[in-house]
Amino acid sequence: MLRMAFDIGGTFTDFVLAANGESPRFLKLPTTPDDPAKAVEEGFDMLLREVGQSGKDLEAVLHATTIATNAIIERKGAPTALVTTEGFKDVLIIGRQKRYETYDLYMEKPPALVARRSIFEVSERIDHRGTVLKSVDQAALKELVNSIKNGGYSSIAVALLHAYANPDHEKQVECVLKESLPGIPITLASSLSPKFREYERTSTAVANAYIRPIVSSYIDRLEGTLSGKGFHQSMFVMQSAGGLISPDIVKEEPIRIVESGPAAGVLMAGIIGSEAGINHVISFDMGGTTAKLGAVDGGVPAVLPTFEVDPIRYKAGSGLPINVPSVELLEIGAGGGSIARVDLGVIHVGPDSAGADPGPICYGRGGDRATVTDANLVLGYLNPDFFNAGAMSLDLESARAGIARDVAEPLGLSIEEAAWGIHVVANANMERAMRIVSVERGRDPRRYSIVAFGGAGPAHAARIARAIGMPEVLTPFGAGVGSAIGLLQAAPKIEVSITSILDLEASIAEEACRSIYEGLESRVVEDLKRLGAPGTPKFNRYGYFRYKGQGYEIRTDLPEGPINSDFPALIAEAFHATYDKTYGYADREAAIEAVDWHLVATLPSHSDKLDLGWHVPKSSIPPRQRKTWQPEANGFVETKIYDRRGIFVGTEIVGPAIIEDPEATIVIPSGDTAIVTENGHIRINIGSRV
Amino acid sequence: MKEANIDPITLTVIWNGLLAIAEEMGSTLRRTAFSEAVREGEDFSTGVFDIQARLVAQGNFTPGHLGSMPYVVRTVLEYFPVADLHPGDAILLNDSFLGSGHFPDCFLVSPAFLNNEVIGFVCTTAHHIDVGGAAPGSQKVHGVTEAYQEGLRILPIRLIRAGEFDADILRIILGNVRAPEKVRGDLRAQANANRAGVVRLEELHSQYGRDVTESAFDEILERSEKRMRELIGDMPDGVYSFDDQMDDYGPGTPPIKVAVDVTINGDVIEVDFSRSSDQVPAALNSYINYTRAYTFFAVKVYCDALLPQNDGGMRPIIAKARRGSFFNPTFPAPSGGRAALQIRIFDAINGALAKAMPHRAMGAFSHWSNPNIGGLDPETGKPFVMYDLMFGGYGGRSDKDGAEALAPVMNCRNIPVEVHETHNPVRIHCLELIQDTGGAGKYRGGLGLRKDIELLAEEAIMTGLGDRHDTQPYGIFGGKAGARAETILNPDTHPQTLGSKDVTSLRRGDIVSFRLAGAGGYGPPAERDLKAIRRDIADGYISFNAAARDYGVKN
Repeated sequence: MLRMAFDIGGTFTDFVLAANGESPRFLKLPTTPDDPAKAVEEGFDMLLREVGQSGKDLEAVLHATTIATNAIIERKGAPTALVTTEGFKDVLIIGRQKRYETYDLYMEKPPALVARRSIFEVSERIDHRGTVLKSVDQAALKELVNSIKNGGYSSIAVALLHAYANPDHEKQVECVLKESLPGIPITLASSLSPKFREYERTSTAVANAYIRPIVSSYIDRLEGTLSGKGFHQSMFVMQSAGGLISPDIVKEEPIRIVESGPAAGVLMAGIIGSEAGINHVISFDMGGTTAKLGAVDGGVPAVLPTFEVDPIRYKAGSGLPINVPSVELLEIGAGGGSIARVDLGVIHVGPDSAGADPGPICYGRGGDRATVTDANLVLGYLNPDFFNAGAMSLDLESARAGIARDVAEPLGLSIEEAAWGIHVVANANMERAMRIVSVERGRDPRRYSIVAFGGAGPAHAARIARAIGMPEVLTPFGAGVGSAIGLLQAAPKIEVSITSILDLEASIAEEACRSIYEGLESRVVEDLKRLGAPGTPKFNRYGYFRYKGQGYEIRTDLPEGPINSDFPALIAEAFHATYDKTYGYADREAAIEAVDWHLVATLPSHSDKLDLGWHVPKSSIPPRQRKTWQPEANGFVETKIYDRRGIFVGTEIVGPAIIEDPEATIVIPSGDTAIVTENGHIRINIGSRV
Repeated sequence: MKEANIDPITLTVIWNGLLAIAEEMGSTLRRTAFSEAVREGEDFSTGVFDIQARLVAQGNFTPGHLGSMPYVVRTVLEYFPVADLHPGDAILLNDSFLGSGHFPDCFLVSPAFLNNEVIGFVCTTAHHIDVGGAAPGSQKVHGVTEAYQEGLRILPIRLIRAGEFDADILRIILGNVRAPEKVRGDLRAQANANRAGVVRLEELHSQYGRDVTESAFDEILERSEKRMRELIGDMPDGVYSFDDQMDDYGPGTPPIKVAVDVTINGDVIEVDFSRSSDQVPAALNSYINYTRAYTFFAVKVYCDALLPQNDGGMRPIIAKARRGSFFNPTFPAPSGGRAALQIRIFDAINGALAKAMPHRAMGAFSHWSNPNIGGLDPETGKPFVMYDLMFGGYGGRSDKDGAEALAPVMNCRNIPVEVHETHNPVRIHCLELIQDTGGAGKYRGGLGLRKDIELLAEEAIMTGLGDRHDTQPYGIFGGKAGARAETILNPDTHPQTLGSKDVTSLRRGDIVSFRLAGAGGYGPPAERDLKAIRRDIADGYISFNAAARDYGVKN
């Protein structure tokens, strides 16, 4: 049976077609932004024709997409109304009020997805325990519905105060809205994200409502296209938290797929790691504009309960907060296209980027600012005649001239030194990000390996690993279509959560835990029905806890099995241990408070061994030589240049060396050694010498 | 640029490393803190110092500690010579003159070592929720006439010895504060952050060697100073003055004159508040470290938001005020509520510099409100302190309207309604913008903010800390002033107007309605774009009546 995975990115749509007993086939097509289904259709046709099959032979279709993210970033969502509690109309406009740049008083707040005129108040009130203080004023609600009706909205969000503790009022509002406005989708904050903190919850519900019509019609169109090809089996979409969900769920809760592509990338890193026997992985995806870092702990992709969409200059606190789980992702403005400049006599790189268009100077497409890729070319790391598998050649002389003008001359450095400076500063930015993801989040870098991919990742990863004290770097074969590969091995997954603040020492703790999990289980069962995937689910519980009095919670995995009188004590022990791991101490005397509770149901994934299409080479290709910049020698050194397609398994490559791959260039600095694994990945061992 | 004895690449990496240390300390502090002020309000700072006690990097957190941070390590060394410091030690102080101008801000300084020699220092400052004194929150303004009424005053003491808290000292501190668990938790969080900073500073020195690291520090300070001098050099020379006033310093007291003379002379800027009122017998006085902090802030905002923050960059900025005046009081002037001042220091300097740099100027802020409500929580039987932060709009700017509802000068997050209601015996009835309060102008000032809070406990004391009840936030270049602020007790039943800094006894069921001022406009209202006026009407920022009155727009 055949399985097709495709990942629609901003620039390219990547396809993988996997067939039993055969190597998978890969395809990369330019994305068709106006109608993404167009490229999809073309890709399907091309790959299916290659194997002489049709859509009805496909067993499953797996999909990742940026459509939800783009709708928010480009503010192209549907006209949306928000219904909120009387007196709290401005929660969304006020936000959390902190400037993302302290010394900038000229800034604008990121615009909310709905204008103030589209926010409607309903008279009602519930307290933090879920007690009704004031019932919904039905007469006023009717009037409000009329105003909404006249506003021409095509989506509605409802977010009432403390509805996480009691969704009853939101349901009443939904009921009345549904009756008068049939066909208009309604998003309830309490069912999408029953978490406390009103701004974040409202923001989540509004974002979901905002993209719901666009994503929903996209999915319909895609399903139509696929069924036109004879495909009538299940399609699954990757969600931000790294599991597959059905189109039915996506259409109702599209906010779950905002980080679809990056999640597939982290998953891929985890799979590559496990295959190589590595359980702890930091995924490092460096492309043209940004570097994205994620983590896999003990074989499980790290997931955070919230994230921000559309941040300004990658600054924390500048985006719209979204309260649904997402793979832990840190994105910084450091990519191959990041622009270098000099200020105060030191080099700065990014976050401004020349992107892919016009791109670095060396692309010769009109880019005129020195970038990281230009530096890597000057340093000899990139082969001017073998970029993107030889599809384009790079203009070394223009890159040199640009670096001379932008960096070398202002600092009185040689062009090579300046290029090296750019490389180092880009690394420093990524080291900082790597340190946040590892040390600051309680991950011991000595126990983690980097899985490096994206066009620029493998050229930088080894030096970053050394700086942080990480022992090795793995660069997968076929990294250019990495996310699509992640899709092939992903499992269908449902995650639900709720805020329920609970003192673990309270006499009712056991009973409360039981009823919380009964509630979550019934929600999961509902969702599993909507998911419609085969197999018996595996359940995992976790929660967010804190010492009573603290305001930030940390994730703690909870024991499985029946909830009995030991359960609260087991949670406490697990929390102390996690806290100790994260902060270096635990306060075993202090009371513990539970905040959020999660339940995850995972269905079995496709168990085929991952095959990335790598073949043992028929004959080895002897390395060539090129001069590359080696800082240890403070100059150019003759370096062996290997062709990845011509290295045998087990061949040891001693740095300094370069391995060229059609999709990326792997730099092995001096002191490090690399080996080709039996799956075709390059495993770089970071030497102990500093 | 002069030939440095350190290459630009190494310098770049060390500079990045320093900033990363300051940031990492901040994220550790925030994540492990207990009190709302630190963890939700981010009312804290971090600093990294070299062996000469010079501030080489400060974290990008609240600017309130900018004025004191550069001196704090020097102060500590006067009490504890380097020879007397050992690995794992940490020195605590909160004196209002030595520190950042009021007792709740506690500074914790830790030395870093390499081969048993001190190589530098790190410092965290955090606003603690209570340090004792006359009222919960230690920021009571009215009726507090001496610093001795404001709680625990700590001159530098060794709180942590070889990594262990001194249990005796801790007992004294915790025995004198209203929320001992939170204070203990926040001190621990500061210790965590310092430990993280020390480890990283030691790594940096061992990686590059002391000589290289120290010459990098010299370069960083020198270049930052040079840049600041260039930027000041670009400002037109002259003396620019501005006068404004604060409502009062408590019920029945006269206004406080806020007057500034800014002299730009070549590459030096001098900001002098001497013409302002004398120090007052109420806890509002702005110790010179605090005056200096917001002077630095204002100059940086006018020059370059991204300027590096260190000792060097601050050298060409001189903040002064007559000794004994409101902006340079002498001990034991009380100062718990001086946070009310920060916006006004900026507003005054902005009013003066507007004449020199109109494109950087803006209308006055909506001011802010920072009340504390404290009493006994009926549910836990323990005292509670509800510390709140309310922010309204920005003044109109030279090319756009003032931002709505954004932290003004200080940079803190607000505290969610649902968090307040979960942790304190209060119910919040509304949180909304107030129509028609923004000053009209070519670019409109942001709106005032209303928040109504009901007490659910038997009784409580509320300490108000607001302003602009009497003097409106000014508009500039023809822009109108914003509407005045009001605080009203029980607005719907027995309305009673409260002063901006009153201390009020509340009983169960009392509702306090805070209504912040609107911000000032920029430029003549007649020049406002009609489309912007119509949009404001549609979104309810202004009413039809106001559109007619302020802009002459009829329909």
